[in-house]
Amino acid sequence: MSTFHLRIITSRRIFYDGPCHILIIPALDGEKAVMAHHEEMIIAIKPGEMRLKYQEDEDWQYAAVGQGFCQIANNRAMLLADLIERPEEVDANRAREALERAQERLRQKQSIQEFHMTQAAMARALVRLKETERYIQ
Amino acid sequence: MAGLREIQSRIKSIQDTRKITNAMYMISSTKMKRAKQALEATEPYFYTLQSTIARILRHLPEMEHRYFEKPGVKRTRIGLLVITGDKGLAGAYNHNILNLAQKFLDNRENQVKLFVVGELGRQFFAARHIPIEENFRYTVQSPNFNRARWISEKLLDQYRDGELDEIHVIYTRMENSMQSVPEDEMLLPIRRPSLASNIPMDVYQEEFFLIPSAEEAVDTIIPNYITGFIYGALVQAFYTVHNARMVAMEAATNNADELLRELKIMYNRARQAAITQEITEIASGARAQRAKMDANNK
Repeated sequence: MSTFHLRIITSRRIFYDGPCHILIIPALDGEKAVMAHHEEMIIAIKPGEMRLKYQEDEDWQYAAVGQGFCQIANNRAMLLADLIERPEEVDANRAREALERAQERLRQKQSIQEFHMTQAAMARALVRLKETERYIQ
Repeated sequence: MAGLREIQSRIKSIQDTRKITNAMYMISSTKMKRAKQALEATEPYFYTLQSTIARILRHLPEMEHRYFEKPGVKRTRIGLLVITGDKGLAGAYNHNILNLAQKFLDNRENQVKLFVVGELGRQFFAARHIPIEENFRYTVQSPNFNRARWISEKLLDQYRDGELDEIHVIYTRMENSMQSVPEDEMLLPIRRPSLASNIPMDVYQEEFFLIPSAEEAVDTIIPNYITGFIYGALVQAFYTVHNARMVAMEAATNNADELLRELKIMYNRARQAAITQEITEIASGARAQRAKMDANNK
C-alpha cells in the first residue's frame, strides 16, 4: 500500500518524521483519518487520542494529543500540536494531579476565561490518563 | 603614588568582586546550557508554526474573521506584552527591550496597555509611574507551555472582548549563538498577504478545505498559534538573558583581571620604591655616622 509523508512536531521535539500509512486524529467534530493522497485540507485538532500505523501490516500506535492542527497537501501531512505523548511517556501521577486540580477549580467560582482554561486542562489530563491505562494493559 | 596599604585594600576588593562575577558567569553558563536544550527542542515547532500559518493564510478562502485585519479600520488600543529579565547584570539585554517598549509608549498617542513578564520590567515601569496590568504576574524563569497558555488566554480574552485592538509582543530573538536582537511582533490582528499580488493566473493554487468549517478551524488554530509563539518567545528570552549575562560577567571578570594586573605592578613599584628609600636612608645614615667618626678620630 502506498504511504504519505508525515511530520509531527510538538513544542518539545520532533515526534515523527517519515512515511505513514494511516493517521487518525481527533478533529473538533469527530475523528478524521488521513491516508495516502488525501485531499488538501487543514484540520483543527482538539485534545484527544491519536492513532497511526506507519506501515499497513503494523500495529496501531497510540498517543495523547493536545491542541493543534494538521495540514495536508501534496501527499504530505504536517501535524503541529502543543503536546503529544506516547502512552509509556505519560506521567500518570502528574496527569491525575492535574485532573484533580482542574476538578477542584471547576467547583470554585471563576471567570469564563478561567473556566475555558480549566476545561482545556481537564480534557488534556483525561486523555493522558486514558493513554496510561492503555499502557498498563 | 598611592600608599601600599591603599593599593592592597583595593586589590582585595577587586578580588572579591571578581569572585562574584566569576561565580555568576559559571551559574549563567550552566543555566544557559539547559536553556539551550529547551530552545533547540522547541525551535522546529516555533518556526514551522510560523511558516505553516503563513502558508495557510496564503491559501485561505476570502473570509472575514475577528482575528484577521480589517482594512481601513483604525486601531487605537494596543496590548503590549513585554518580556524582560527578572534581574539585572545582563549587559544591555533589559535596556534594549525596555527602550523598544518605551518607543511604543512615546511614538503613538494610542492607549497602550502593558503586560509585563519579568520583575525588572515591572520595576522599570513602576518607577516611571506607567500603569501596567496588575494581575499579570508571571515569571520568566523556566518557561513552560502552561504559562504560555495562561498568558495568551489573558491577552486573547481582552482582544475578543474588544478591549484591545492590537496585540504586540516585544522579546529578544536569537540571531545566532552570539547575537540577539530585540524584536517587536504584531500577533493580532493577523495581516493577510494580499491575494492578487504577483501570482500568475495560470499557476495552480491549492485550495485547502478547513475542517470542520473555515470559521471554526481559524478559531482554534489562531489561539494555538499565539500560544506557540508566546512559548517560543519565552524560551528564547530565557536563553538570551543567560547568554547576555554570561557575556557581561565574562567581560567583568576579564576587566577585573586586567585591573588586578595593573594594580599588582603599581603595588610592586611602590614596594620597591619604599625599599629603595629605606636603603638610601640607611646608607646615608651610615655614611653620616662614618664621616662623624672619621672627624672625631682625626
